[in-house]
Amino acid sequence: MALLEGFSVAMQPMYLLYALGGVLVGTAVGVLPGIGPAMTVALLMPITYSLDPTAAIIVFAGIYYGGMYGGSTTSILLNTPGESASIVTALEGNKMAKAGRGAAALATAAIGSFIAGTVATVLLSFVAPYVAEFAVQIGPTEYVALMIVAFLTVGALLGASVLRGLASLALGLFIALIGVDALTAQQRYTFGNPFLADGIDVVLVAVALFAVGEALYVASRLRHGPVKVIPVAGRWTNWMRKEDWKRSWKPWLRGTFIGFPVGTIPAGGADVATFLSYASERKLAKGERKKQFGKGAIEGVAGPESANNAAAAGVLVPLLTLGIPTTATAAMMLVAFQRYNIQPGPLLFEVEGALVWALIASLYVGNLMLLVLNLPLVGIWVKILQIPRPYLYSGILVFAAMGAFSVNFTPVDVFVLLVIGVLGFFMRRYGYPIAPMVVGLILGPIFEDQLRRSLAISQGDPTALVSTPIAATIYVVLIVIFVLSFWLRKRQRAMESEVVEETPAAAVDLKEGGK
Amino acid sequence: MSSSINGATGGSGTNTAPARPLGELIFAGMIVCVGVVGFVAGAQIPIPPSAGVVGPRAFPFIVSGIMVAIGIGLVIQLLRGHTGAAEEGEDVDPDVKTDWLTVGKLVGFLALHIALIVPLGWPVAAAILFFGAAWSLGAKPWWRNAVIAVVLALILQFVFAGLLGVSLPAGFLLEGVEIFNG
Repeated sequence: MALLEGFSVAMQPMYLLYALGGVLVGTAVGVLPGIGPAMTVALLMPITYSLDPTAAIIVFAGIYYGGMYGGSTTSILLNTPGESASIVTALEGNKMAKAGRGAAALATAAIGSFIAGTVATVLLSFVAPYVAEFAVQIGPTEYVALMIVAFLTVGALLGASVLRGLASLALGLFIALIGVDALTAQQRYTFGNPFLADGIDVVLVAVALFAVGEALYVASRLRHGPVKVIPVAGRWTNWMRKEDWKRSWKPWLRGTFIGFPVGTIPAGGADVATFLSYASERKLAKGERKKQFGKGAIEGVAGPESANNAAAAGVLVPLLTLGIPTTATAAMMLVAFQRYNIQPGPLLFEVEGALVWALIASLYVGNLMLLVLNLPLVGIWVKILQIPRPYLYSGILVFAAMGAFSVNFTPVDVFVLLVIGVLGFFMRRYGYPIAPMVVGLILGPIFEDQLRRSLAISQGDPTALVSTPIAATIYVVLIVIFVLSFWLRKRQRAMESEVVEETPAAAVDLKEGGK
Repeated sequence: MSSSINGATGGSGTNTAPARPLGELIFAGMIVCVGVVGFVAGAQIPIPPSAGVVGPRAFPFIVSGIMVAIGIGLVIQLLRGHTGAAEEGEDVDPDVKTDWLTVGKLVGFLALHIALIVPLGWPVAAAILFFGAAWSLGAKPWWRNAVIAVVLALILQFVFAGLLGVSLPAGFLLEGVEIFNG
């Protein structure tokens, strides 16, 4: 019933327009290398000053979902090895495109994303209220446990190196400490500087890390020459042959049910979901089809792309019900809520029920829009993909500078942007993931608050932090997640080298793409 | 070939480029330093009598401790030859050397932008930033770059300052033009 009310809000023409704007921008930034949904939400944070909360959240949710769709277009059509996160799936889609089956790859990715996104949103609508109901009963001690889970999984499991991820997290926590302590009003790490006393704006740090850091890093090793996009032929209605449908529908559904739970538990995010889906599709394939893996198997695109989108919906469960973001984009959405003095968490469904259900309804609508945007209109995105890189990255810098300046309308903020941007450059260069820093920056103050509260209740006895049954269970789950994910990572590495060794052509291609 | 794939998926990072570890060591050392500074400065945070069992110093100490521990761990890892796997991207060419000159130019143009916002106004500073950055990245020909830079800066000024009321200073050149001022 609440969902129906949500639809009645989300279907208002004004909000439909906002959702459309969100998914358009989201797809565009998903398609463009170098810009992601997290950075876009950060750059667009100023709209929270002029829009009502529902509108802003709908825009950001559209960007979030749109980014997922756009990313697959890039990895299928761009003639370069894609992001490491989806290297294997990118390989399948890219091979299909080179074999003249790019249209089928795009279609199975888009339809799979739609099905996964929709089914996962249904799951979200049913699961989230129950989680919220459970979450209402938990106290600060359990919160501390949950946030430690979020910190450790995001910090240690997302990147390639555990120590670098944790270092990035600690840097975020440290920057969050600068300013005035909320509980005692004491200045911390301000060194007597009135500018630092206000704290460093979260949006400023995020824009600097995502935009300036990325632009500087890409500039240091820019791939020169024209952007090579693999052409797609034919009318979009003929893209999927009968056989493609037959081979795709099961991977779509399997991907959905793999992706959603993995997204819900912060066990490594979409990366793990896509790999699990890819591995299971490869295992389930038989005979001729199995041999196609590594050379352009449609199952290897259909499954992982669905898993990816389902995981994106899963991430919203801990964000909305517990206030715990597990990806950089979710962290930026949390900031957007905070700008309106809305705290996502157990009470969100009670206090801001109308807003949450409008958001969830807009996800259904957004998915439908994205299907249309990505099937018949894929040509537009191919054009966007071809923007000359010098202009693209200069544009990113100008937008970042504008976003920084408009935080407080002082050039000092743009200077901070530059400094943190240079930090982001070195982090990328030396393999430090960015997402843990942003999550630490945003969750840090909340974590400290809950930690101090639970220790105040226990009179400073730290054993109280593990003594409640729920908290103890959470820590046990944390250990299980860690064991599982290290095992998974080993499997993933073994399998990736296996796939590539089996198909020497693929290996050569990756190398060519690198030139 | 499998080595390039391992690098791509970011294994523990086993490529031992001779030039990189020094920079990485400095970076890891800086993390240790920030942690140490965190301790020293953290010890000077005043604790008001109203503070509860856990005062304003506890969490800074925890974070600083983590930074020192991780930083030392990273230094040890690096000395053993485990370097980090640099980030990948569609536009990143893994086979070229770092182009420090271009990075320096971009930082320079950002610094110039910061210096020019107040004296010349935001649109002028933004156009110079765009033109300079695109030129550094190899945009050709220069006149097309210049046209795009000026048009983009004016559009942004018009949309954000003129329409949305974001107070971007228009500068003395555009001061009298109403559509560029909020």
